[in-house]
Amino acid sequence: MILLHVALVRGRLCLWGESAPEPVGRRPARARARARAVRRVKAAASPYDTEASRLSGALGDAVPGLSMAGAAAESLVAWLPSVAGEPLPSSPLLTAAGGARQDPAASDLKPWLVSTVPLSAAQAVLLLCACVERDTLAPGLVVSKDLAFWALVLRFAGALVARQRFLPGMVESDLGWRAQWTPVLDGADAQRRVRLAAAMPGACRALSPRAAAGPPEGTALEALDGALAMLVDQLVRTAAVSTPAAPESVDEAWLRALGTPDGDVVEREPAELARLAAAVREWRRPVAVSTDAPFRLCFRLEEPTGGDNSPTSWSVRYLLQGRRDPSLLIPAEKAWDGRSAERLLGDPAVREHLLGSLGQAAGLCPPVEQSLHAPAPSGYETDARGAHAFLTQSAAALEQAGFGVLLPSWWTGKGTRLRLGVRAQVRSPRLKESGGGVGLEQLVHVDWQVALGDEALTLAELRALARMKEPLVRVRGQWVHMTAEEIRAALDLWRRKASPAPMRDVLRIALGATTAIGPLPIEGIEAAGWVGDALARLEAQTGFQTLPPPAGLRATLRPYQQRGYSWLAFLRRWGLGACLADDMGLGKTVQTLGLLLAERERTAGGARPALVVCPTSVIGNWQREAERFTPGLSVLVHHGVGRGRGEAFRRAARENALVVTSYSLLLRDLEHFGGLEWSTVVLDEAQNIKNPETRQARSARALVAGHRIALTGTPVENNVGDLWSIMEFLNPGLLGTPAEFKRSFFIPIQAAHDAAATARLRRLSGPFILRRLKTDRSVIADLPEKMEMKVYCTLTREQASLYQAVLSDAEKVIARAEGIERKGVVLATLSKLKQVCNHPAQFLADNSPIPGRSGKLARLTEMIEEVMESGERALVFSQFAEMGAIVTAHLQEAFGREVLFLHGGVPRGARERMVERFQSGAEGPSVFVLSLKAGGTGLNLTAATHVFHFDRWWNPAVEAQATDRAFRIGQTRRVQVHKLVCLGTLEEKIDAMIESKRGVAEQVVGTGEGWLTELSTAELRQVLALRPEAVGVWGADAPPSSKSEAPDPLRRRAKV
Amino acid sequence: MRPPFYGDFPPPSRPRDVKGGIRARSRRGAFGESWWARRWIAVLESFELGGRLQRGRSYARRGQVVSIAIGKGRVEALVQGSRETPYDVKLEVKTLPAPEWKRLAGVLAREARFAARLLAGEMPADVEDAFRGAGSSLFPQRRADLRTRCSCPDWSNPCKHIAAVYYLLGEEFDRDPFLIFRLRGLDRDELVGLLDRTAAATPAPPEAARAAPPIAPEPLPETPSGFWRGSDLPQGFLGEVEPPPVSAALLGRLGQFPFWRGRQPLLEAVAPIYGAASALGLDVFLGEVSRVAGRFRP
Repeated sequence: MILLHVALVRGRLCLWGESAPEPVGRRPARARARARAVRRVKAAASPYDTEASRLSGALGDAVPGLSMAGAAAESLVAWLPSVAGEPLPSSPLLTAAGGARQDPAASDLKPWLVSTVPLSAAQAVLLLCACVERDTLAPGLVVSKDLAFWALVLRFAGALVARQRFLPGMVESDLGWRAQWTPVLDGADAQRRVRLAAAMPGACRALSPRAAAGPPEGTALEALDGALAMLVDQLVRTAAVSTPAAPESVDEAWLRALGTPDGDVVEREPAELARLAAAVREWRRPVAVSTDAPFRLCFRLEEPTGGDNSPTSWSVRYLLQGRRDPSLLIPAEKAWDGRSAERLLGDPAVREHLLGSLGQAAGLCPPVEQSLHAPAPSGYETDARGAHAFLTQSAAALEQAGFGVLLPSWWTGKGTRLRLGVRAQVRSPRLKESGGGVGLEQLVHVDWQVALGDEALTLAELRALARMKEPLVRVRGQWVHMTAEEIRAALDLWRRKASPAPMRDVLRIALGATTAIGPLPIEGIEAAGWVGDALARLEAQTGFQTLPPPAGLRATLRPYQQRGYSWLAFLRRWGLGACLADDMGLGKTVQTLGLLLAERERTAGGARPALVVCPTSVIGNWQREAERFTPGLSVLVHHGVGRGRGEAFRRAARENALVVTSYSLLLRDLEHFGGLEWSTVVLDEAQNIKNPETRQARSARALVAGHRIALTGTPVENNVGDLWSIMEFLNPGLLGTPAEFKRSFFIPIQAAHDAAATARLRRLSGPFILRRLKTDRSVIADLPEKMEMKVYCTLTREQASLYQAVLSDAEKVIARAEGIERKGVVLATLSKLKQVCNHPAQFLADNSPIPGRSGKLARLTEMIEEVMESGERALVFSQFAEMGAIVTAHLQEAFGREVLFLHGGVPRGARERMVERFQSGAEGPSVFVLSLKAGGTGLNLTAATHVFHFDRWWNPAVEAQATDRAFRIGQTRRVQVHKLVCLGTLEEKIDAMIESKRGVAEQVVGTGEGWLTELSTAELRQVLALRPEAVGVWGADAPPSSKSEAPDPLRRRAKV
Repeated sequence: MRPPFYGDFPPPSRPRDVKGGIRARSRRGAFGESWWARRWIAVLESFELGGRLQRGRSYARRGQVVSIAIGKGRVEALVQGSRETPYDVKLEVKTLPAPEWKRLAGVLAREARFAARLLAGEMPADVEDAFRGAGSSLFPQRRADLRTRCSCPDWSNPCKHIAAVYYLLGEEFDRDPFLIFRLRGLDRDELVGLLDRTAAATPAPPEAARAAPPIAPEPLPETPSGFWRGSDLPQGFLGEVEPPPVSAALLGRLGQFPFWRGRQPLLEAVAPIYGAASALGLDVFLGEVSRVAGRFRP
């Protein structure tokens, strides 16, 4: 694992890394030699130092587009908080798992030699861009806080460039003159700069070239400015297309250098360059004047105070607004008065700036020009028409030119602003009794009504308003703005009045997808009869008929599951796609299977098959749950080497009720799916299609289906970027085209934090997403305090062949052995097989690589990711300490977050600290791995709401005792217990035996697994055998680490 | 088009090509966009120079002027003609005496708009009336107000070289309305000082107080938390980001570059960069990694 750091030194961002030190004996001799060599300058090599070549190598693979070829390494001094002659690592990830030290009370900054890789500006942009909102760049490549800070600075640079706040300039350095694009920080940006600098971690400027010079003394602001200038320059430079013509003058050389990679203005006379630099300064003077000034000019529109409609009593006042503190407003009068008490106003530059600003504003707003005939103008008076002109024209122009503009709240307040609008009234036509479902094409009648605020307007009133020809009218004590265009459109609607429209349009209006008719905003929709009922149910997600579960369902649905199942059925009747996004463990599968079965029963088996697409790791789970809950649905697993193709596949599919396949096969076998029409397509873990441009998303959309369902346990409705793709699969066109969606939702929400757009999107997509949390009041009552569930996993090919090999060896020995010896062999074999099911690396004990080799570990990682995303905590038990270590290392690498690990070798003090940290507030680690022996008893770990049993102890009492760590006094929430079981292996078999005779087992088994040794050889053979469903699922296609299905540690955390 | 020979002496010869000379922005027709630039040029054109005016314009457009330096009341320039060494051109404008400036400033300070417009980069429309009302004149009136010299062999004064420099000055007037005041003996800061009515009442703070305070060193935080974590910033800290409705508005605020020596005007050359950069900036802001990486691909 490498923790990546970046610091600014000598104007460049330099990358360095921390990784766990090798044990002293194994530290390479070279490093020791270097440590000796540098003793003279009083900086020793940091024990956490990471070789520059390792850094470059890791980054080159992990960052899109980044080439680290030819990057030169440089040894620099890092000043790090240190205690007792050792630097403190930046994160507990680096200390031996679980042995996290607490922050010592006193630490000093000491110099340590570290290997760094200086980044070019282009490399810096690519690296930082890849780090935006990420914890890890790749498994084992952790983005530390200082790097995350620079990524935020890059976003700031991006924002400045996007808003075009930059100008070309000339900068002189030791190396000569350089053409550079420089940021222009005005108003709010200037404040952001100061706040960013204040939040900068010290590590961002902790590198220095030599130890002798002492710790770096430059300020955070200087470091920030340096990086910001470099990043802005690089972004603009990249966008600039270099002019190829050879320059004929120094001016052209400068222009050209603005588009070259290095920006150097070369081979020119120093005097010429200095002259040009002066000219550039002179040219940029107007901008420099305004950005350097402590104030900006601000205009405030004030409404008449008299109350009656006196025609000249509107006014626009001139004020000086503080740049750092925008609430500081000084009337212009004070600035003109030289004796003013405001100290800052004594500076002639303030008045010069004020005058220049007024001169500029005069060109944008003609009445300002008029006011300048006075020697010391402080504002101007106007009438309603002038006020309207200011509101609708001048204000925007002034604001864009960088002036402050303050408008009355009735104008700016979006919700409260009174204006002309329309309401729709929908009448429900009588429905023919015959049809089962009502579709979106059903025509209904819509009446339009023109209204002002809450009150409907009559035609006479509308005409009266039209005759006034005033843009600002005072109605019921409030100023109302209406344009001639709006009044024309309103009169038009009056003439049309009623018109038929399809339900689809009504739905779009009701959900806010359509917000206006021409210039008139739609203020509301009222629907009577069944249309109204349907809309209300859809929006509220309640009130629809609760359906009885299908007859063949072998499960009792909990009340909330029954609601979910009925909701799915309700949307199905309308032909609307549904996204069931319940928390992990609430039973999405059983609700879905219930719906599929009900459909099958309704059509008396004559229907087309349904298709479930899911990650490879849960295919087995679907298969088992369908067998268990809906034995009436015949299942075809389309996976593995022996899967059917072409017409044979299609025929087999039509003969079954349910086809289960994986995303990767959906891609590969798309041609085979093409000829089929599905009654329902279900996408499990639908976040797999969150990126609409991927082939899996396209393939999913290409499937032909009567109804579409998406299942996901992640809060999909919060992630704007991911939502479009899933909704487009469910209800094509509802959120508009990608371009429309980007324009009206993605950019306003992500880039502008537009709360109204967020609300609109929620309203529009909300009716199609049902998400219940374990903590919801309506759910929690239905749940037992402890929920146990099996998680069926599959073996990788490697695991399967190891399993088979162990088994073949053992069978021979067991057949020959007797008595104590036989017992020993059986127990050893059980243990070996369990290790194989866990992970080949555990069985082989060879320190081989971890990712992609265990189906169980892949599934655990996916589930842990969901736990982390929902902000919960989990315990992971294994009876093998070695496996605990593997799980811990793997999860830390995958998520870049600390994972605690308790095993028998942890001393008591450390053990108590771990428990304390796990139980403590928001900052503590969220996953605690424990060996069953060390952690199975005594501890109180009620912060956890999930307990995973990675492998099984064939003794329910021991498992229950471990589970109770989370389920103790003090636990206020529901706890979910997940038992991981490998399909088709001894794990499944023994699990079934325990379940079938639980009562007996509890008496028989006593304390150990000894009862298994009592089985006859034939019985044993049956228990241990490897059955086909264990293998083949990973089969010939992608291993669990493939991009499409592995948990995506790179998933962005950007949320609304 | 005029015929190539117009009857003046000596016959016009082809000037030597200049690389990197100052090229007029005007490609055809009149020079200067603002009324005050045209007003300045009208003074030259009132001298009845015949074909020299046309040739001066063409010199200015071809970039024959190698350099221009402007001081109070005087301009010095080098213009490349047909000989090997460029000709020295000098222009002297009659400056107004200090007391007269003071009196004029008193008149201009009666209305804020004079200073306001000037500081915003524009010549107030009726500034000449104000000067006339005070018994003075802003632009040179008589021939004696303007003295010109050129080292070329042409006996006529102003010659085409002088005319070329004069035209280029006209274009610089567009950008910098203070130029005429400078040529009349008062530079920008002096003028602004005179126009500031309160400046007399409040003495400017001493130079030392106005200069930026020296930057104190800022030691690195020593606590592990301040050193490794810094402090948190609120979500949405970077505010709204939208490409501006009008592209390259900042450039528009600055106007043309003073005496630009390039074949393509600076603004024309860099304005397209603003649109392209803005799109890339938005991608960076939104963290669209693959799109950003695509822009950096060699």
